[in-house]
Amino acid sequence: MTRYIFKRLLQGIPLLFVISIILFALMMNMGDPVATMGGRRVTRAADYQRLRRQLGLDKPIYTQYLYWLIGNDWTKVDLDGDGIAETSGIRHGVLRGDFGTSLVNRGMPVLSVIAERLPNTLLLMVASEVIIILGALLVGVYSALRQYSAMDSVITTLSFIGYSMPVFFIALLSMYIFAVLFKRWGLPYLPTVGMFDPQIGKTPGQVLLHMVLPVLSISIISFAEYSRYIRSTMLEVMSQDYIRTARSKGLPPPLIIYVHALKNASIPIVTVIGLDLPFLLGGAVVTERIFAWPGMGRLFLDYLSRSDTPVVMGILVLIAVAVVVFQIITDVVYAWLDPRIRYET
Amino acid sequence: MPRKTVLWTALASLIIISLLLGGCGAKTPQATSVATQPPATTEEATQTPGGRKVVTLIYPQEFDNLSPLYTSMWFSWTTWQMFLHWAWEFDENNEPFPVLVTEIPSIENGGISADGRIITMKLRDDIKWSDNVPITADDFIFTWEMAVSPKNAVASTYPYDLIESVVAPDPQTVVVTFTDPFAPWLATLWHGILPAHVLQPVYDAEGTIDNADWNKNPTVGCGPYVFAKWESGSYARFVRNENYWGTPAKIDEIFIRFVPDDASQVAALKAGDADLGTFIAYSDVPALQDAGLKIMIEPSGYSEWMFFLVNEEKGHPALLDVNVRKAIALAIDRDAINRDLFFGLTSVPASFWDAMPFYNNPPLENYPYDPAEAKRLLDAAGWVDSNGDGTRDKGGVELELTHATTIRSVRQDAQAVMQQQLAEVGIKLNILSVDDTLFFGSYADGGPAALGEYDIMEWSDGPMFPDPDIYYWLCSQIPSDENPTGENWFYLCDQELDRLIQLQSTQVDVNARQKTISQINQLFYDKVYFIGLWQDPDVYAVGPRLINAKFSGVTMFFNIGEWDLAK
Repeated sequence: MTRYIFKRLLQGIPLLFVISIILFALMMNMGDPVATMGGRRVTRAADYQRLRRQLGLDKPIYTQYLYWLIGNDWTKVDLDGDGIAETSGIRHGVLRGDFGTSLVNRGMPVLSVIAERLPNTLLLMVASEVIIILGALLVGVYSALRQYSAMDSVITTLSFIGYSMPVFFIALLSMYIFAVLFKRWGLPYLPTVGMFDPQIGKTPGQVLLHMVLPVLSISIISFAEYSRYIRSTMLEVMSQDYIRTARSKGLPPPLIIYVHALKNASIPIVTVIGLDLPFLLGGAVVTERIFAWPGMGRLFLDYLSRSDTPVVMGILVLIAVAVVVFQIITDVVYAWLDPRIRYET
Repeated sequence: MPRKTVLWTALASLIIISLLLGGCGAKTPQATSVATQPPATTEEATQTPGGRKVVTLIYPQEFDNLSPLYTSMWFSWTTWQMFLHWAWEFDENNEPFPVLVTEIPSIENGGISADGRIITMKLRDDIKWSDNVPITADDFIFTWEMAVSPKNAVASTYPYDLIESVVAPDPQTVVVTFTDPFAPWLATLWHGILPAHVLQPVYDAEGTIDNADWNKNPTVGCGPYVFAKWESGSYARFVRNENYWGTPAKIDEIFIRFVPDDASQVAALKAGDADLGTFIAYSDVPALQDAGLKIMIEPSGYSEWMFFLVNEEKGHPALLDVNVRKAIALAIDRDAINRDLFFGLTSVPASFWDAMPFYNNPPLENYPYDPAEAKRLLDAAGWVDSNGDGTRDKGGVELELTHATTIRSVRQDAQAVMQQQLAEVGIKLNILSVDDTLFFGSYADGGPAALGEYDIMEWSDGPMFPDPDIYYWLCSQIPSDENPTGENWFYLCDQELDRLIQLQSTQVDVNARQKTISQINQLFYDKVYFIGLWQDPDVYAVGPRLINAKFSGVTMFFNIGEWDLAK
């Protein structure tokens, strides 16, 4: 297994190179970051030329990629526009852990920009994922065991409704009901936006309170999706011969359901969760925007709209690495769940 | 416990926990009435729970930097009346008043030389930074040096790159010498001063102030508030400056929350989770007023314009004819657009200096909505529908124009209306919406507007408000391979217009400049080089708690030290 993991990691390296080249080329054609630096006005011509030179944007795309990858401290650059490259570069490049600085937040290291938002995203997304998985397991198993019952029909209907609704609709609706209207009706109410009430301060209780609506919005849709998966796989597994054998041997029903059946039914779910986990890092763009939650999703959207290539590349590379790593983790968990699965190196 | 009970218990527990979290810590509100009266104007202060007065502002965009040299964002500008000051600021009528200086320089008081090149400023002797270091002429000199240093990637060197020297004959006197007479100095100079004692050491050590911590955490300032904290994507806090040299602020803390979604901002304002909303969409105004908020509109100098590309080689031949351009102005019911899309809260600007009556003098009248006259003009110009396809033509060329703007939804709505109205007079309008960073891309980057690919371009613009200066229409600004940074995307070269634009920027005598601007104003009107669509002022939603708030179109929160909370 160790050799398998090592081999997969090595395979990931050229993959990440190819991904970075494609993403960089796409980003460089997504717009001009200097064009909107003039605020409400178009950037003045003299400032435009100067900023492109100072920010290294006047270089050919392959040169910019090279500097992004390995830095420019091994060469000199022309900062003052006199045509003479006399100033040493200061960037070390991604391969040496330097993702550069933001074009929008001038001077701010990309990793700092990301690090400011990542904990907020993990807080929101991990909490949502835990609720989704636990809730989906409970509901999915129940539905499978009570197939075609009245409760199963209700759950199925609600699942389809939840799955069909766009997240912005759920988010805004829940905000208006539980925050605006409840307050107007004199009921206990939830906050609308942000992570805390400035009158009280950023306490754990405040953050938890402000998480309720965004977590609810994220959970409803994915919960519906996951519970249907689990119901489907459980139904398939429960009809297997070994389950019938376990029953006829007189094993306790909880043991049959939660050890024998659920473990095997979980294999496809592990795939889905494994594919979803790296995207937790990307946050939930719409939810974060509506609830003003300062996460990675909003960061990506805001900086993409400003064509801030270093920050957007930093986020995308982070997610790409996470996808590769979590794919490997998923395979390992597969092998643990199903002893029949063994990887050849 | 039976399996069934376990599952039900688990489900019920999840629901109960959610409800408890919802109730836990949440306040049960006092019985509040949804008032429609404007907020109380009493100056009585009030104390919030915990004894601190905190005002919450909502910004739909987060600022990218707080240093005056590194950003041009409106949202950053607003903070410079909180923790910094301009040398002079502008009130609710957009009239200048001295802040760091004893008086506004003028020819009468000897502050401006006869040739208009030298501006002499006398600083107050009681101004100081929040760490008690006096503000002197050295801070002004340092600010200029940093703005023009090639080692700093500042947002704009304008107008500091037009200055020949900045010297200090004494600590309270700043003498600015321009290379050439520069009329727009009042509106463009000293938008925030840098603390030399904080940033000079950084510059000396690193060779640049690009990465200075002060740019993101300007803990030393000179305004009624000082910067406290900025958490990316979440909020920024400014607390009262206890060492302020002026009248102490009444509010303990200004809390700015970044809420990018319009509907969420409205919900937060209606729920009382914020005291001031910014960049309010006109469609939200009725709901906010019903919820007891006051809508305040402040001219910003900006209006929405349709600019014509008038060039023999690049543009549509029809647009070379002033009567065709006039016909387009007559064929669009711009009053209806303002009435229906903006709820009548704005009106059609007739002049590029619509927000500056002194320069829109005599005031221009808008071309009325008169499709019959539009048709007559087009007929007389030889554009008739000879092939019966519904679109006029002339010499085999169809009167089909491309109209492009950004993806902002109200613009797309207006495009659809204009397309329909122009079709009624036989003009086919192909409408395009393009993302900002693509639309405003440069000539060198293949920006379509810069390349002259659109017959009609639309965006919000104005003069260098509150200064009347303009420069787009200079012939020298037409982009080309030799001049890829040119900003005259209309590809228009009108020699008389060019002469007048160059002249006005050198006229420090206000009355002489007013005469020149008036000539430009009339020329624009007669030649219909662009058409006004709607005014684009700053729109604020003020919550019932917030009192004494006034706004300026230039130094937006100029009296933030006087803001208070109603009882």
